[in-house]
Amino acid sequence: MSTIRVKFSKKDEMKYISHLDLMRLFQRAFRRAGIPVRYSQGFNPHPKFSLATALPIGVTSDGEYMDVELENDIDKDEFIKRLNDVLPRGVRILSSKYIKTGKSLMSLIEWSDYVIEFCTTDGISKEDMENCIREILKKDEIYIKKVKIKNKKETIKEVDIRSSIKNLNLLVVEDKRIIIRTTLKSGSKGNLKPKYIIDIINKTGNIEIVDDSIKIHRLELYSQKNGNLVSPLNCE
Amino acid sequence: MINKDTLDKILSRVEKPARYIGNEINSYKKNTKEVKVRFAFAFPDIYEVGMSHLGLHILYNLLNKEEDVFCERVFAPWIDMEHELRKHNIPLYALESKDPINKFDFVGFTLQYEMSYTNILNMLDLGHIPLLSKDRKEEDPFIIAGGPCAYNPEPLADIIDFFVIGESEELILEIIEAYKKWKENNRTREEFLEDVSQIKGVYVPKFYEVTYNQDGTIKEFTPKAQRYPSVIKKRIIKKLDEVYFPDRVIVPYIETVHDRVMLEIFRGCTRGCRFCQAGMIYRPVRERSVDKLLDHAQKLVEITGHEEISLSSLSTSDYSKLEELVKSLINKFKDKKIGLSLPSLRLDSFSLDIIQEIQKVRKTGLTFAPEAGSQRLRDIINKGINEEDLINSVRDAFYLGWSTVKLYFMIGLPYENYDDILGIKDLAYKVKDTYFGLPKDKRKGNLKVTVSTSCFVPKPFTPFQWFGQDTIETFKEKQKYLGSNIKDKKITYNFHDPELSFLEAVFARGDRKLSKVLIRAWQKGCKFDGWADYFNYEKWMETFREAGIDPSFYANRHREYNEILPWDFIDVGVSKKYLINENEKAKNGILTRDCRKGCTGCGINISFTGGVC
Ligand code: SF4
Repeated sequence: MSTIRVKFSKKDEMKYISHLDLMRLFQRAFRRAGIPVRYSQGFNPHPKFSLATALPIGVTSDGEYMDVELENDIDKDEFIKRLNDVLPRGVRILSSKYIKTGKSLMSLIEWSDYVIEFCTTDGISKEDMENCIREILKKDEIYIKKVKIKNKKETIKEVDIRSSIKNLNLLVVEDKRIIIRTTLKSGSKGNLKPKYIIDIINKTGNIEIVDDSIKIHRLELYSQKNGNLVSPLNCE
Repeated sequence: MINKDTLDKILSRVEKPARYIGNEINSYKKNTKEVKVRFAFAFPDIYEVGMSHLGLHILYNLLNKEEDVFCERVFAPWIDMEHELRKHNIPLYALESKDPINKFDFVGFTLQYEMSYTNILNMLDLGHIPLLSKDRKEEDPFIIAGGPCAYNPEPLADIIDFFVIGESEELILEIIEAYKKWKENNRTREEFLEDVSQIKGVYVPKFYEVTYNQDGTIKEFTPKAQRYPSVIKKRIIKKLDEVYFPDRVIVPYIETVHDRVMLEIFRGCTRGCRFCQAGMIYRPVRERSVDKLLDHAQKLVEITGHEEISLSSLSTSDYSKLEELVKSLINKFKDKKIGLSLPSLRLDSFSLDIIQEIQKVRKTGLTFAPEAGSQRLRDIINKGINEEDLINSVRDAFYLGWSTVKLYFMIGLPYENYDDILGIKDLAYKVKDTYFGLPKDKRKGNLKVTVSTSCFVPKPFTPFQWFGQDTIETFKEKQKYLGSNIKDKKITYNFHDPELSFLEAVFARGDRKLSKVLIRAWQKGCKFDGWADYFNYEKWMETFREAGIDPSFYANRHREYNEILPWDFIDVGVSKKYLINENEKAKNGILTRDCRKGCTGCGINISFTGGVC
């Protein structure tokens, strides 16, 4: 029995597929590809594969990961080819690697890298935008309101998310269009949704953002090793 | 193609955007400039419902197999999506090419349910297509319709350009051929309708005239010229093993009602239940061979990757080689972890063996449909089941570890009285007693009996087609009576909304005067009428009042045998004489045997050949 770790992308209209739908999609793709995935025991046998994190609906990505347990080894390039042949446009296997089973993929993930594009209503100068980002990074504490649903009850909690922001860079300012890149806390040990960054920019710089215009793309997921960010494919 | 950016923005705002994106595995992509005929298969309900319909998958693949035809899909957008489409003035588009449906040659609706008629209007309007056939111009698509409700096409007569009656695997290709020829010769819209009116199974409403008697009944239904057939004969596929069966089907991204491989094992039903339209209109019975089915199953599992196969047909346990089929399927797919489901087993030939085999993979609740509470009434409807059968089956099932049972009944069946209704309660209590009659250590789980009653809707081409439906008040009274008699925590009673069934009855047996009612009701905002949250009975009644039409004329009125019924010009193969005879037998509770055990003279073997008859 071996476990293969797979990096894949999820783009175009496939960004509208929910996490659950994506699980089902892979389950069926493995069957179509004739890939010998291991199944759980019991009444409702499930193929054994797990996705690193859930990508919110509407977000595209070039850095998604999953672990798949196989009944028997197949060549990893063969694995990629067979899957890509049966996957819909928009979902592509990019690379893969056999791993020694250890920590679960989910628990490895600590950071996500995003590119976020949006438009401002009035347009903003490069300088102002840079100032805004500097100001955000200068802060020791940043409080946001997080809505939590526990036992069907909605509670709003103020939480400090400063430590969840690792990087925040300005890539492009072009009239009203702005592109930033940011590294945010991800995974089971804390997760900051990229849309909060928009809220913070909006608040800090008093910048009016066109709701419709926000495009979020995940570049990569990272694990942490000796203080460095590493791809889940290289963390052993 | 509609604007991609705008669509993108819209999709991020609606619920379940995957309904509107297409691009599923096994869907077709064709160059729209290279094809001669563009066909939009239109399902007047949401994606999840439409994609669960086997007929869609058959016709979609059948048409796309033709190189010069491109068939795409379009479903009714949910309320939020409709709102966005209208706000941004985006016309309703087909999923494959994202082209507006008014750019197509055909928009073909499937009529599965009367209460989806307003959705047809809404889709036409969203697609910028005139609602009335007479208002459509040369550049508009032909709006066609088929499916079970097309057996009484009249309520949609002003809206649909032409109907296809019966099974359309062959018929649709004949229409496409006629269309290609017509298009090459650059002729008028009218001329195409003339052409197709000569194809067997096609009904073009505008070529027929209806006159009425003073009392509102039909005086005469006549073709406007001799060349139009005075009787439209339904089409059937004679040899099911030879007809096209899709070897690929689309795999949806989101969960649909039937998210699995659907294997159609036979068509038709021989039982002859007197309320059942499907049992009459789909005659004769035609089976697929076990070999073919195993072959299809294999191919479909490979190409879809689905984890479950369901057998589809009426009365599944009547398939002559069911045991062989089920065992072979289980053997073949057990190791691949593929489950099997049988949706409609009858309880007289209820084979627990088979169900048990299947349950090794997945376990579900048990459902039975005795339809009526008393033996007297079950005989009247010709449901050849007795109480002993039911109780025995239930006992066996309890022994084997089941504890959840659903029982389906109808209220308002012809000649029903309050004792029959009490019979429903008695049956449920007997089921409960059977469970507690078992030795304690044999009882597993926690007993739960669910009794559901629907309201009887008399349907065309059934022996009860002349019968007046109970009024809404009577239905409510009966439901209340039954509800107040069921006083047991183990038994839950569910019932259907009589207002909805009333409207269903109106449109099931309506005539062409109803086209204008439909349009008015839609203008008032009626749509998704089959969805409890959206059904607005008051609006419908207001519409009827304004149109000066009494809905109970269609739903509650008893007809005489000599009345001309709106659908009389359609020949389904089962003769009117047979239906009358069956209705008379019903009055006296006389049973008619299953016609597999000997012909019962319905007429199908005279006008149609093939099948077991
Ligand atoms: S068994 Fe009766 S209810 Fe079922 S399909 Fe046949 S005729 Fe209809």
